[in-house]
Amino acid sequence: MAQDKNTTLAVIEQFLKLVQKEPEALTDDLPLYGEGLGLDSLEAAELSAVLEDKFGSDPFSAGGDLPQTVGDILGFYEAPATA
Amino acid sequence: MSAPDESRVALVTGGSKGLGAGLVIAFLEAGYRVATCSRTATDAVRGWEADPRWADRFAFTAADVSDRSDAERFVKDAAGRWGRIDVLVNNAGVAREGMIGLFGDDALDQVVDLNIKGSVYVTRAASRSMLARRSGAIVNISSIVGLSGYRGLSVYAATKAALDGFTRSLARELGSRGITVNSVAPGYLRTEMSHGLDGGQLEQITRRTPMGRLGEPDDIARAILFLVDPANRYITGHVLVVDGGLTC
Repeated sequence: MAQDKNTTLAVIEQFLKLVQKEPEALTDDLPLYGEGLGLDSLEAAELSAVLEDKFGSDPFSAGGDLPQTVGDILGFYEAPATA
Repeated sequence: MSAPDESRVALVTGGSKGLGAGLVIAFLEAGYRVATCSRTATDAVRGWEADPRWADRFAFTAADVSDRSDAERFVKDAAGRWGRIDVLVNNAGVAREGMIGLFGDDALDQVVDLNIKGSVYVTRAASRSMLARRSGAIVNISSIVGLSGYRGLSVYAATKAALDGFTRSLARELGSRGITVNSVAPGYLRTEMSHGLDGGQLEQITRRTPMGRLGEPDDIARAILFLVDPANRYITGHVLVVDGGLTC
């Protein structure tokens, strides 16, 4: 399900506000973990659930490589796999 | 308990007969919308589907939750239909009797696959819906057999003890997101699950039970409705024994 980049960003930003991990700038190359956004494992699961709830699918449980950056999430929705 | 909120959604696995059927009717009567599943529909299920009192408030999915895709389909059906999941009761389970030295592979797989893996599959899917809303209540139906053991039911007992460990771990994992997780451990009930016990065994159990009778599904439903009440924001990670005092 392709999504407009700004729509996806808005969902991510809303989630980051909820977990109080808002970055100065939400750039594509920003890592989700560690020195980037610093999400822990539960927050990653929660973000996965929020994205699925909003868009019907999510990059964390799609079976491919787990997303490592904000751009990986955006890329999943911008260029969905085709059969 | 809180006044029923008719938008609340409860999932009960294995609700077509026995304890599960008792739980389905208890949740319906408490004002919940209820989705249940089992491998095949029963007369009880067909009755609820046809009952105008439960119109738009009851849904049945033919699903074997020991099958991962069936389990996920059951949860997605309910979440898609009503847009939320407030309560999950992992009730589906099977008991197979046998001395461990002679316990068959098929029976072993059946008990482990349904009682443990089935509960994990459904919980994994339902917890995602709860996480997205930061709210929910999960109850795993374990058994006093998982706490005290029972000769000839070692594999069943092991799965029920495993569910209690699952409960405690999930309570720690999900508590910060407003999700409570508890176990209810019934004693011996007057349902199909106790039919493997002969009359003498049931009589002996009744004699040893301070409350002087076998349990009814209603006894268990009352405990579950208490635990999943939205006003309960502090009881989590608990195994609540409901056995008429048999093991106290």
